[in-house]
Parts: sequence; structure tokens; C-alpha cells
Amino acid sequence: MSHTADLEHDIGEVLLSEEQIAAKTAELGARISEDYAGRSLTLVSVLKGSLPFMADLMRQITLPLRIDLMEVSSYGGATTESSGLVRIMKDLSASIVGEDVLLVEDIIDTGLTLNYLVRYLRGKNPASLKICTLLDKPARRLVDIPVDYVGFEIPDQFVVGYGLDYGEQYRNLRFVGVLRPEVYTAHE
Amino acid sequence: MTDPVPATGRPAFAHASEAELARILDFYDVRWAYEPDTFPIAWNLDGDVIESFSPDFYLPDFELYVELTTLKQKLVRKKNRKLRRLRELYPDIRIKLFYARDFRMLLLKFGRLALHEELSGTTGQSTPPRPAAEESFHATPGHEPAHVAALDAIADDGTAGADDEVPGPLDPGVGAAVPDATRREGRGRRRGKRRRRPAGQAPAIPVEAARPDPGAQPA
Repeated sequence: MSHTADLEHDIGEVLLSEEQIAAKTAELGARISEDYAGRSLTLVSVLKGSLPFMADLMRQITLPLRIDLMEVSSYGGATTESSGLVRIMKDLSASIVGEDVLLVEDIIDTGLTLNYLVRYLRGKNPASLKICTLLDKPARRLVDIPVDYVGFEIPDQFVVGYGLDYGEQYRNLRFVGVLRPEVYTAHE
Repeated sequence: MTDPVPATGRPAFAHASEAELARILDFYDVRWAYEPDTFPIAWNLDGDVIESFSPDFYLPDFELYVELTTLKQKLVRKKNRKLRRLRELYPDIRIKLFYARDFRMLLLKFGRLALHEELSGTTGQSTPPRPAAEESFHATPGHEPAHVAALDAIADDGTAGADDEVPGPLDPGVGAAVPDATRREGRGRRRGKRRRRPAGQAPAIPVEAARPDPGAQPA
């Protein structure tokens, strides 16, 4: 608890409270349940940031469903210099051929990772592929991809919490907050 | 995945931040071309181009131009004015301006904020040789030639970037607007249409457009 309190000290503003996130997740779950009724739904989540949202969202969907997890390397990560390309760190554990796939994201900003994943997943021949994100930061968009389910459109600020990290920290915050600039400028 | 188009070598980036953005795009397998097009944006009364704008990147799969500026916000007035003029004259093109703050946040996202200072403003500028025909799509990263590697070492001569405020080698006139023969056919046709303006057919605001606009605000 004291660890969480320290993390919270680095937050300049709580952008989305735990209650707001829960309400929105329930709303999205209800919509998805309605839209996918009678279909074969697979939720695909992208580690690590989407984990809390995925866990909450799947429990708000009232349909039979499968889940799967993927992890891809990020630019600037340990693998960047060696390969120069996105690497699939963890691939799907089962085929999605003929499945209705919903890609669950924590946040979409540049759209670069999402663009890569969408092309990758389309190559696996699902029956359909749609995108659900908790947070959308359109001001930061570099490549446009239509997003089917958006929880919150957020301003152009660096946010952490509820799965989102800075330097692998803050993921365990129960809310989404704006990180104080002095936190990351101190590490420059 | 996209069909890789063989790269003929990395372009000579005018700024180290552009080289970094190119690496990011390569990493995510996004095809790009570096300064493939020059758009005339001001003409004199004789119809000669007196000002042009060359967006830094074109992303063909998204039909999007990207202009990257790492100058401080108060210094981007000129670029904002040129961008506004570009949008007036060519309303059908899509262009995204990345300010210094945007680039900083991009580096922050990728945990490379420490690079920001050395990739920003005049510090990151360079004027390497820029052969006119050295332009191609890049779908796969490769080893960069020595002149790009030199950019990474951050040369600092404090000179301006690629967009010419006054006529220069990139915009000697309408003739410069003919699409490069090395470009892909579809793209050349589309953009060539925009660029060709017969001599003597000056736009509505030929000279005024070249004046600084003190009221310009960031887009």
C-alpha cells in the first residue's frame, strides 16, 4: 500500500478514476455482448499494458469467449538494436481462423503498434477483426486505423496507471493519471 | 505485411530527428518516402515559384505526409504559415505536423527521451549532400551509409532545413514539379497533377503569401 502511495505522488492529476473506468468497461462489455451474440468471439490482448483492461472487460461480456495474449517488442526496447524490426515476443497460442477476433488495447496513440498487429492478425484469416481500446489519444495519431470500441478519448498527456507504465512502473495504479513531467525529465 | 520495395540506400536526412523517425517507421514496418514531393506555395506575378514546401515524409499506405519540426514552439511560426498555405492550395492532401513536443512525447513513449536534446532544434541539423535522385520507398531497414551515420553523431552547423523560404535548388520553377521518373507510377501521376502550374497562371495571393504572418498560431 505504501508502495502505491509513493507511486501516486508522481501523478499530477487523476484523469480517470477507478469508478469511471469500471463504468465504461461495463458499458463496453454490454455493447460487445450485444454485437457478438451468436458468434464465436476471441479476445486478443496485447501485453503488458492491456492486462487489467482485458481482465475487467472479459468479465463484463456475457457471451462464451476465448482469450489469447500477444506481446510484441517496442521501439527502443532491448531488441531494437539487434533486429531493427518489431518482434513477436509471444504469439497467439491457438488458431484464429474463422474466429471473430476483438483486439483489446489499453491505449492507442501513434497507431504504429496497432497497425502492425492488425496486419499480422489479418494474415491469420479470422472471420472478422475489430479493435477495442480503453483509451484513445487521437492527437498523437500517426497512422489512422478505424477503432470500433473506444472507452475514453484523452488529451495529449503522458498517462500511466491501470496497466500503463513509465519505465515498467505505475501499472498497478487503479486509476489512470497524468505523470508529472518532472518524473520523466529527471531521468533524461 | 506490405510488399517490400527494394531500397536503394538511405536518403541523406536533413536532420537527425528525421533519421530517428525513419528508424521508428522501419521498426513498425511502415513504408515511407523521404521528401518525395515539393509543393509550390507562392508564385510571383510571372508565375515563377518563389516559395515551396517539401514535407519530410510520405506514408503511401496511409496517403499521409508528415512534417517534423523540432524547433521550439515559438520558432515554428514560419512553418505553420507554410503549412496553412499548403492546406489552402492543396486541400486534398493529408499532412500531419509533428512539433518538438510531439517528437519529445514520441521519444518518451519509446523510452528514448534522453535523445531528445541531441535530436532537436539546430543541434540536430545538418546539411549533408542530397542527391536529387536519391529517393525511394523504404520497407525494410538496412545499414545506413556513412553520411547518415554522421548525422547520428549530430553535426551542428546551425543551418536551415529542407524547406526553402526563397527560391532554391528544389524549386527552380514549374519544371521542378515534374515527378521524379524513379517514383512509382501511381504516386507520380497523382502528385504531378498538383504540382504543374503553367507559367503566368499565378494563384490569388502570389506575393503576399511569402510575407511572414505575425498572427500565425500553432496548428
